[in-house]
Amino acid sequence: MTRIIQGFRAQGTAYLFLLPCLVILGALLSVPLYKVVEYSLYDNVIVERNPTFVGLQNYRDLLTDGAYWSASLNTILFTIGSVVGHIIVGTGLALLVNSDINRHAQTLFRSLLILPWIFTAVVVALNWQLLLNPFGVVNYALGQLGLIDEPLDWLGDPALAMWSLLVISTWRGYPFIMVSFLSGLQSIPQELYEAAEIDGAGFFAKFWHVTIPQLKPVIYGVALLDLIWTFQLFPLVWLTTGGGPGRATEVLSTMTFRFAFVDFEFSKAATAAVSILVISAAFTILYLRNETRKI
Amino acid sequence: MSEEDNVKLTCTLKAAVAAATLLAGTASAQTEIEWLQWFAAENTTGFYEALAEEFEATHPDIKVKLVTQPFGKVRESIVTDSAIGVGSDVLGLNMPWTAEFMKIGLLEPLDDYLARDTNSFATEDLVQAPIGKIEGHTWMVPLNAFPFVMHVNMQLVEQAGFDAPPSTWDELREQAIAIAALGEGTSGIGLPFSSQPPANGPILTFLPLLYTNGGRIMDGTTPNFDNPKVVETLHFLNDLNKAGAIAPGISSRTGGVDLEEFIAGRTGFLISPGVHAQAIEGRNADLDYVAAAVPNNGIEAYRVHGWELGLSSASRNKDEAWEFINFLLSKDVNARVAAASNALPGNLEALEIVGEGAGDVMQAQIGILAEHEPVEELRQAPNAVGSWSLMTEEMQSMLNGDQTPEETAANVQARWLDLIK
Repeated sequence: MTRIIQGFRAQGTAYLFLLPCLVILGALLSVPLYKVVEYSLYDNVIVERNPTFVGLQNYRDLLTDGAYWSASLNTILFTIGSVVGHIIVGTGLALLVNSDINRHAQTLFRSLLILPWIFTAVVVALNWQLLLNPFGVVNYALGQLGLIDEPLDWLGDPALAMWSLLVISTWRGYPFIMVSFLSGLQSIPQELYEAAEIDGAGFFAKFWHVTIPQLKPVIYGVALLDLIWTFQLFPLVWLTTGGGPGRATEVLSTMTFRFAFVDFEFSKAATAAVSILVISAAFTILYLRNETRKI
Repeated sequence: MSEEDNVKLTCTLKAAVAAATLLAGTASAQTEIEWLQWFAAENTTGFYEALAEEFEATHPDIKVKLVTQPFGKVRESIVTDSAIGVGSDVLGLNMPWTAEFMKIGLLEPLDDYLARDTNSFATEDLVQAPIGKIEGHTWMVPLNAFPFVMHVNMQLVEQAGFDAPPSTWDELREQAIAIAALGEGTSGIGLPFSSQPPANGPILTFLPLLYTNGGRIMDGTTPNFDNPKVVETLHFLNDLNKAGAIAPGISSRTGGVDLEEFIAGRTGFLISPGVHAQAIEGRNADLDYVAAAVPNNGIEAYRVHGWELGLSSASRNKDEAWEFINFLLSKDVNARVAAASNALPGNLEALEIVGEGAGDVMQAQIGILAEHEPVEELRQAPNAVGSWSLMTEEMQSMLNGDQTPEETAANVQARWLDLIK
């Protein structure tokens, strides 16, 4: 105790400077977090003037709801598909824009390829809706190439909608991976590649035995971060398909919004939000452990 | 400082204090009312702001604060604002929200206000659909009204070999199929059944057709979707689809795209509110276009829609708020509101002013209003917004060939009942 008091005396000023920040952060994070968990324990809130405490009933209802499991499966598919897509496209493009080409061309490509990340979800959703419309450019091009006989309803066919959404998500999210990997690639010592070349390694051998091992910490950290973001992604899905057709692209975040603002079932929404929170928290702990290890 | 200066200073200070007191007195006597609506978001010419100023000029004790949001945001704002006790006094409303808001206790019954002798309008002159009683009370009044009509591309109709818009279901089927057969990307009619919010395609297109078939989806305040008239109307849409008359991409087609495709001249018919005439004429003045009643299968009826006004039950300034509503419904003001939104007035006494010099499309709407039966069911539908999402999903499934119209009607009914359990 004495040591704590002495420590505070020595560093008290620093703690006082931190206090406003800690109070604001505490209020912004703790209060909403507490309220969401609290709401999930009542029959319904906001629209109910005197809500009744129901304990874990909302959790029991959610876990026995087929629509919840269907949305969970869609969330897993969407998250894994998107993250894999981001990594594959992001890595490929990072390698391309890191290659030794004309410096002006390199800058131009780097600038152009980062553009999808700059657009808001509304712009991305509207553009892709137009591109994938039955009368859109994609159907026209595929028709001209003889790959399809009649236009496909990419976002309206239950068999195609999730795949289309993954393409859009990949397009939107690859620049973050590309930029992160690009900075990772630039920090790999050139001597390692030279040594590999002396040993007779070709492009793929250098990629597997030099690039990937050197990028591993970046890949792990960035992939986890992308996983956390994509898992709770809402605007892109809601604005592109609204979770449809049917519920073919319904994910947990859109389901939560539907509970809250379509059905006014705020306690159900809070329960679904807590389930997202638990899984996101698990990913976040993994991410933080990885970051701590680096330090 | 001389004594004279002292006197001057004292007088000046006293005058300043007196003026400040007077101003403070005026300010404290002025009541501010909030008007939450989306109307000013759809008319950015400053019309509604000027209207508020005009009201304030004649009511110096009341100040009107406009709170403008996009339509898609207003419903959730009314609920969440009310929950945290910051709700507005006058609410812009949409009829399908009524049952939900009543259940939550957000709306003030308007019966006593409508019975006032000082009102600028007669209750019997108002468009009747919004003021019909639910649970013994009136909950909203109509600012304006839009009958649902069928917008017709006459060029495509004539190319397909017809000389007049269809007036019956049989004619609609025949003309829609013929227009789709013209090729080059033309379709008879579009169905905007995307799941994307607001996912309200069925209430835009299916309900107007159901009403001209004499059908309903409600039995009082209980969902009654699984009935022969609904199934017959679903069969009509399903047959049109099988015949290739409907534009492709039904399940991804939004209301916005449906309107744009019509404006671009790629669909023969568009069932939507008459107010869309403004967008159609404004964006493609060359389109050979008319508005007609939605083709019927025996019953001349139209789905009536509009912008409504209500009082928040939590308002502390209900009398002042009603005074403002009273102003908006007065004949001359309401006529101007109708003209600004290209709609019919909520106070039908203003109809003659709106009709003077109105174009063909507006005249067609006035004719429909005068001769056909108005229908509005969603006002008393529980979870109306959730219900039309279910309709959208089940109709997507039907038009995708995954289920029959009978199964569609039964599924909507079962899911709707489950939703309101």
